[in-house]
Amino acid sequence: MAIRQSIRQRRVRKSLNQMAELPLTSMLDIFVIILVFLLRSYSASTTTFSSPPGIEIPNSASVDIPPDSHHLIITPESVTFEDARVVDFTQTADSVGTDEPKYEFARRDLDEGGLRILPLFDALVKARKQSETLREKSQVRDDTGNPLPFEGVLAIQADKKIDYTILRRVLYTAGAAGYRVFRFLAVRKEV
Amino acid sequence: MLKRPSSRRKSSQEPLILNLVPMLDALVTLIAFLLFSMSFLAIVSIESPAPVASKAEVQQKLKEKPLQLTLTLTPKGSQIWSPFGRIETTRIANSEFGPDLPQIHQALVKIKAKFPEEKQIVLVPHPGVNYDTLVAVMDAIRSLEKTDTAIFVKSPKTGLPLQAQYLFPSIVFGNLLGDS
Repeated sequence: MAIRQSIRQRRVRKSLNQMAELPLTSMLDIFVIILVFLLRSYSASTTTFSSPPGIEIPNSASVDIPPDSHHLIITPESVTFEDARVVDFTQTADSVGTDEPKYEFARRDLDEGGLRILPLFDALVKARKQSETLREKSQVRDDTGNPLPFEGVLAIQADKKIDYTILRRVLYTAGAAGYRVFRFLAVRKEV
Repeated sequence: MLKRPSSRRKSSQEPLILNLVPMLDALVTLIAFLLFSMSFLAIVSIESPAPVASKAEVQQKLKEKPLQLTLTLTPKGSQIWSPFGRIETTRIANSEFGPDLPQIHQALVKIKAKFPEEKQIVLVPHPGVNYDTLVAVMDAIRSLEKTDTAIFVKSPKTGLPLQAQYLFPSIVFGNLLGDS
């Protein structure tokens, strides 16, 4: 019995002494395929927009990649401008206790007949002034030697369910703050 | 004199084994970098200029009577019309899921064929329209499908006819001031 055990142990020891060689070629093949796929689908654009958590963005057939600009996010509960939450919606009285809460602007946040959102207007004007100051200080000038004008582009990222009532107030406020172009962001529809 | 037998057979040539470990390391690092830095969601944009009203422009428009193509979305249906009566008003009933996008698109293609140089459209949605529907409507207004009738526009550089890439790419919101 002891002799058999000893023989078995010797065999095991012998097999362990031999260098184990993993066949890496097939693994390398897999990695190369993954690498090619990733490089193929890697977007080289400079845009910094991504899908923020908590909102569902609609799909669009557009192929235009948005360049960098001021960024506004409208979630079902709030409005965020340049990563700072500027407006919080209040829940409507009739939707309290229901499965689908509905939100609207607080009355204190609105003026001009309920069309202009005050905190958002202040934030947009502040951002515009900052942008204009930077352009004045910059050495880049137009043909006449004046600083480059403020482009006034606002990228808007909103949840699918946001009503036009909210969007209209946001657009009105942005227009009043000197923004001339609105870019509605969406996720590219796969064809 | 006999030649000495070749030593080739006797020499124990071990099979050449490539050391793939460093290559594997590099690939794993590259894949990790790409996975961390890439975004799997491609964000695209639809541009819309803010409406600008000027008295001089209004006077000029009243004289010239431009097309000023307008798409009004109501809870029951859509209406394609021109405030200056340049086209016959088209009314399209809503489908089960909202505005009938294929019908709207087809109607707009017909108008584009009549007015190939026109690029602007005024969109007047009703307050209940959500952002998802709005983006879908803007897509239907802007893009020309491959199956659509080919429309030719004059190239601004050469003056030669060019196939139009977009239907009405400049979408202006017509009721930001709360008219409807």
